[in-house]
Amino acid sequence: MYKLQMIAAIILLAAMGYLVGMIRRRKLDIKYALSWMIMIGLMLIVDIFPPILSLISHLFGIATPVNTLFFLGFIFSLMLIFVLTVSVSRLSDRMRQMSQALALAEKRIRELEESNTSETENKE
Amino acid sequence: MNNKKKCLVIIPAYNEEKSILDTVRDLKEYAPEFDYIVVNDCSKDGTVALCKKNQIPFLDLPVNLGIGGAVQTGYHYALENGYQIAVQFDGDGQHDARYLENMKESLEREKADLLIGSRFIEKKGFQSSGLRRLGIRYFTILIRMLTGVRITDPTSGMRMAGEQAILIFATHYPKDYPEPESAVAAIRQGLKLVEIPVVMRDRMEGTSSISAGKSIYYMIKVTLAILLERMRRY
Repeated sequence: MYKLQMIAAIILLAAMGYLVGMIRRRKLDIKYALSWMIMIGLMLIVDIFPPILSLISHLFGIATPVNTLFFLGFIFSLMLIFVLTVSVSRLSDRMRQMSQALALAEKRIRELEESNTSETENKE
Repeated sequence: MNNKKKCLVIIPAYNEEKSILDTVRDLKEYAPEFDYIVVNDCSKDGTVALCKKNQIPFLDLPVNLGIGGAVQTGYHYALENGYQIAVQFDGDGQHDARYLENMKESLEREKADLLIGSRFIEKKGFQSSGLRRLGIRYFTILIRMLTGVRITDPTSGMRMAGEQAILIFATHYPKDYPEPESAVAAIRQGLKLVEIPVVMRDRMEGTSSISAGKSIYYMIKVTLAILLERMRRY
């Protein structure tokens, strides 16, 4: 095994450890961490068994294996960004519904409190 | 019974402390049968304090939702409180409260579900700039082509909704630049849309939400929204 492979493997394992730590401290949802974990796992496999990359390159008809790496990385990034866009849309929609419900509820509470205070004033 | 319909004026407000009192005074004077509610869209000025001080009923949104989200809050309120008619009314002094009674009569007479106050039927009062009129004309033609219905002023924010329209708008309402898109959504869901002539004033305070830079985004976004609305199945 080459030195570079070792360094890459250590970095990847550290990243994996960091990810797991964040999930443990509930800073990251497993749902969103999963794609990153799969990504790190795949990178580890390619790092330890580089011939896999050459094999895929051959299958795709890509002359230089490193281009396969760029290509796959690019596809992965685009997919991740798209998924995030969808979830931002969903979140903003939910945020809108919640704000509206909150505004309606706030008015009812305000009016209840006002009628309460005026009632007690009347009693006194 | 029919004349005793509960009517609500929805006044979306973002930093309107300078004009909101005038708007409410006009409403009290010229449309006394209408209840009204200010929807404060997270104003940074004293809009809320002013409403509290003058006992103007208001809904206070905790985060800024933009015009679409604010107006929709008003429709939710109308639905929750059993209003049969809800009318959108700008708080910046552009709309004239004297038309409300007239609009209500037209809505009932024509048995319409959605009534739009149009500046371009009688072509009186504030007519917007030439370029904007051209843009509005383009939307009129686009909506005519896609739905067969002619709306002379699809960007007009002065519109009155009947019960069915209130329900539809409370369920779905576009977030930004909602006017043309929501009109098409109403037509697509089988509502009867009628326009009546109104005269609008130039705004007393504030500036249009659509600046020169945003107008290109506006044209593209609204065109796309109308096209997609036409493709939706109901």
